[in-house]
Amino acid sequence: MGRPSTFTQYKTLLAKDIRQEFRTREMLTSMGIYALLVIIVYGAALALTANGIDVMKMGGGLLWVLIVFTSLLGLGRSFAHEKEQGCMEGILLVPLDRSVVFLAKATANILFMLAVEVIAVPLFYFFFMSGEPVAPTFLAIVAPLVVGTVGMAGIGTMLSTITMNTRSRDVMLAVLFIPLIYPLLYACVTATTAAIAGTEFWMDFFVMPLVLACGYDVVMLLVCWVLYDFVVGA
Amino acid sequence: MRKTKGPGVNLARGEKHTNPTSDPDEMAIRALGITKAFGTRKAVDEVSFELPEGAFLSIFGPNGAGKTTLLRVLSTLARPSAGEAYICGVDLRENPDEARGLIGLISHQSMLYPDLTAEENLMLYARLYGVADPQARVSELLDAVGLSHRRLDQVRTFSRGMTQRISIARALVHDPKVVFLDEPYSGLDPHAVDIFDELIESVRGNRTFVMVSHDLAKGFAMCTHALVLARGRIVTYARKDDLDFADFSALYRDTVGMGVA
Repeated sequence: MGRPSTFTQYKTLLAKDIRQEFRTREMLTSMGIYALLVIIVYGAALALTANGIDVMKMGGGLLWVLIVFTSLLGLGRSFAHEKEQGCMEGILLVPLDRSVVFLAKATANILFMLAVEVIAVPLFYFFFMSGEPVAPTFLAIVAPLVVGTVGMAGIGTMLSTITMNTRSRDVMLAVLFIPLIYPLLYACVTATTAAIAGTEFWMDFFVMPLVLACGYDVVMLLVCWVLYDFVVGA
Repeated sequence: MRKTKGPGVNLARGEKHTNPTSDPDEMAIRALGITKAFGTRKAVDEVSFELPEGAFLSIFGPNGAGKTTLLRVLSTLARPSAGEAYICGVDLRENPDEARGLIGLISHQSMLYPDLTAEENLMLYARLYGVADPQARVSELLDAVGLSHRRLDQVRTFSRGMTQRISIARALVHDPKVVFLDEPYSGLDPHAVDIFDELIESVRGNRTFVMVSHDLAKGFAMCTHALVLARGRIVTYARKDDLDFADFSALYRDTVGMGVA
């Protein structure tokens, strides 16, 4: 019996998470319904003021509020199955690099978050922006959405592991998560707003924030990857 | 497999628990002054013992004696605050991954994903451990635990006894040399206990077993070695052949009853 490659172990863990989610649909359903409810609340909140404000300029911020809170809900649930019946300990008993567990779980969270965004973003557009003239740069929102989702899933996976065994883990996750993703969030809101509303300062309001967000992702994911062994060991 | 013999046995507190003539290579487990502290409280306090290959060690002790913590340290799930431990000569601190390949753990928690089927759970672990022919191994284990007919059912639908049988299969999927049992009878009815015992006996072979149990009679009947812990320290450690059950149970009662724990 030889130790399988890191990639094989990664694929095995990722397939397990995906299979489990598609069987229970716990994360996807709860995140999807929550996103829909946020859109409904937005509808009520903006119903009387829509004529007086420029929704296109607020669109980036509103969209990211939806994504952040929806993600928090999903990330909080992402280790629920691992905690149940001591499954995380079963995985930690296997001779594997702990960072593989992080990478597989973060990848699964990215996929689930993106799946919800694929439904939530068109709905958001349909309800709040479909009557407005669309900037030619609109489709560029895909870039900040993907970069932001990758960063939030990575940081969220790490924090979800840390808070897994705490008493009020949902609150703890939010308290740690939002300050830590703030630079990423700020950059992504700026880039998303620039893409939605269009801007003549494309370099300043889209490219630069996106580059900063990418840099933040790389640094934070590397830190999480390196520290994961210590976190699960502690 | 690279083996590390470790230092010679020279134990201040634990010397009486080792055989000075023993060969470290023949030892399935060597614990040398294992200490695990949580803050200022020592859950395990300089525990030292050696267990030969093929032995069955039962660890007894009152609640909070440090039994589960000791098992977690020996199974690499917790890092010791001090001391050394070797599994089949492999140093847990230096080569934890190599040691993990030699260890199986059956706990009162099944470590199985309830929404996956029995077969999917076992295949998951077989692939992670790198078992050569995972499908064949999983089929063999499902046959061994008598649950081939339920292989496609989700573990969530299983009774506690059936889940524990799958848990045995999970722990043995990579053919470990040392198997740890952490209060495996919790929540099992008498019939399920009998089935569990038969299964353990059938897979025992030349494997080494370490079991934490509150059931003195059962634990003593199954073991070749017995160890009593109280307040994280070894009260007694001996081969069963050197013990009389009546004396041993009296010692255990005194240990618990006198408030040593």
